[in-house]
Amino acid sequence: MFTELNSILNTSPESFTPGEFILLSDRQSDASFLIHHFLSFYLKARCKVCFVALVQSFSHYHAVSQRLGVSLTQAKEKGQLIFLEGLKESLSVFLPQEENAGHQAMSFLRDPAAGLRSLYEFVQSSVVESSGGGGASAEQWGPPVLLMDDVSVLLSLGVRVGAVLDFSHYCRTTVCSQLQGNVVMLVRCDGEAEEDDADDEGSEQLMRGLTHQSCLTLHVQGLPTGYCRDIHGQVEFCWKKRQSDGQHAPKKVFQFKVHDKGVSFFARGTSRAVL
Amino acid sequence: MLSELLQGTDVGGFLLIQDSCSYSGRHLLKSFIDAALNREEVVHVLGLDVSEEELKEGLKSFVFQRLHFHDAYADPLGWTDNSPFTVHQFSSSRLTELLKQTAPSKPATLVIDSLSWVLRHISPTAVCHTLQQLKKGGAVRTIIGLLHEDMHSRGIVGSVCRLATSVITVEPGTKGEEALAKITKRSKSGKVTQDEQIFSIRKDLTVTVLSKPTNPGHKRSTTEEQVDPTANLTFNLRLTDAEREAKEKLALPFVFSKEKKTALLHSGPGSGKILYEPDASDDYDQEDPDDDLDV
Repeated sequence: MFTELNSILNTSPESFTPGEFILLSDRQSDASFLIHHFLSFYLKARCKVCFVALVQSFSHYHAVSQRLGVSLTQAKEKGQLIFLEGLKESLSVFLPQEENAGHQAMSFLRDPAAGLRSLYEFVQSSVVESSGGGGASAEQWGPPVLLMDDVSVLLSLGVRVGAVLDFSHYCRTTVCSQLQGNVVMLVRCDGEAEEDDADDEGSEQLMRGLTHQSCLTLHVQGLPTGYCRDIHGQVEFCWKKRQSDGQHAPKKVFQFKVHDKGVSFFARGTSRAVL
Repeated sequence: MLSELLQGTDVGGFLLIQDSCSYSGRHLLKSFIDAALNREEVVHVLGLDVSEEELKEGLKSFVFQRLHFHDAYADPLGWTDNSPFTVHQFSSSRLTELLKQTAPSKPATLVIDSLSWVLRHISPTAVCHTLQQLKKGGAVRTIIGLLHEDMHSRGIVGSVCRLATSVITVEPGTKGEEALAKITKRSKSGKVTQDEQIFSIRKDLTVTVLSKPTNPGHKRSTTEEQVDPTANLTFNLRLTDAEREAKEKLALPFVFSKEKKTALLHSGPGSGKILYEPDASDDYDQEDPDDDLDV
């Protein structure tokens, strides 16, 4: 959890806005540090987290989270974290074994055209069982949170953009509106922006569709001037909803540098290397 | 023109609000809903994009009895078994039935939030057909739709715009709270009027139309004055009339007029003449390249 990012977003593990759909996006850069931030943030806020990790293994996230002060294995044992390791599960879809009845979550790999209904049903069962009241030893966790890393890999697996948008809509309905939880999704774009051709069934259209659905977007890009050793890129924050006090601060841009145990954010031009 | 549209005098029309990722048209849509409710009209909202709470946020609670929200947000594809309204039920017969349930006598205003959701699952021709039937049907007074123009190809957006009697395209403005609206209105007589206006929406959903957008850099109303370089000097660069005449009469040394040329070439009596007789050792070339020079 990065404290500077919390102050920019005006949140803390003790108080954050419920029912938000946060979209993380990047273009020719790597926004996965934001996923690690939100993962540790919501675990520290004692929320029930459902993490659909499609691109990295559990040990990767565990190693990074340990540096941020959170233990994923402990959270999993306590029942706070439900982790869908996409890489491992996909193997069981392609090579079904007798003892492993298998999650139906990744069954879209067999038939991408059918859509992501089974993945949604997995998400729904993970988040709803928390509010259903567990056993006597179950701890009371906060509102459910869905994290996805990352959504654009579904496009490479053959799922249509429309199916992914339907899936994110249903996640929003269940997690944000019904259960007052939060959804954080990462979408990655390659290539240049501003393609006029909206027929393009690619990550651009997916990003546009998710931007319409979200209320806060964090867009990570490299510096327009090129590579810099001290500044790793810039993040553009875009709030869609009006703040409750009526202030409308739609966009803010900050530059960042990724360190070993954290990320520092600063206003443009105020990097330590420059001042 | 935006204020006229907000007053809703256009009966039997289809108003389309187009937005993009950079600026959401939902605030303007809510202003239209608010204006219709304040006019004591019955408003039916087909909600697909946002939930009922989010849409009703900002509207005053005493008008809610005239606002009917048809929840297609919770389960638009029928993935759970009890869905109030699925997107596949988007047809003129089903919608007319829905409208008649609550307001049998008065034609209601139908608001669709958003058409992009419908267009993702139902073919554009069917959607246009439904909208056209609703317009002519008589159960609906006005249709107001929200469309995300960057989610569809230009052809689909164009087809839906053709059906609309008024199209408002919203874009972010230059300053924080302001937005730019490009309005195209088609009247029944076929006349098309276009306009651009800057507006902002206050917290109580009233729209303030600010002004026409100024086009920076195009109109420079001040004419440039001719600057006189001979003014304000310590020496005199001006000419009197006599001096100007003498200057114009002066013949420049190397500018040859025709008379001067012939006088030089064919020298008159009294001036010297050059007679040339080549010797044996002279290189007299018959094809002298300089021979054709007229000097």
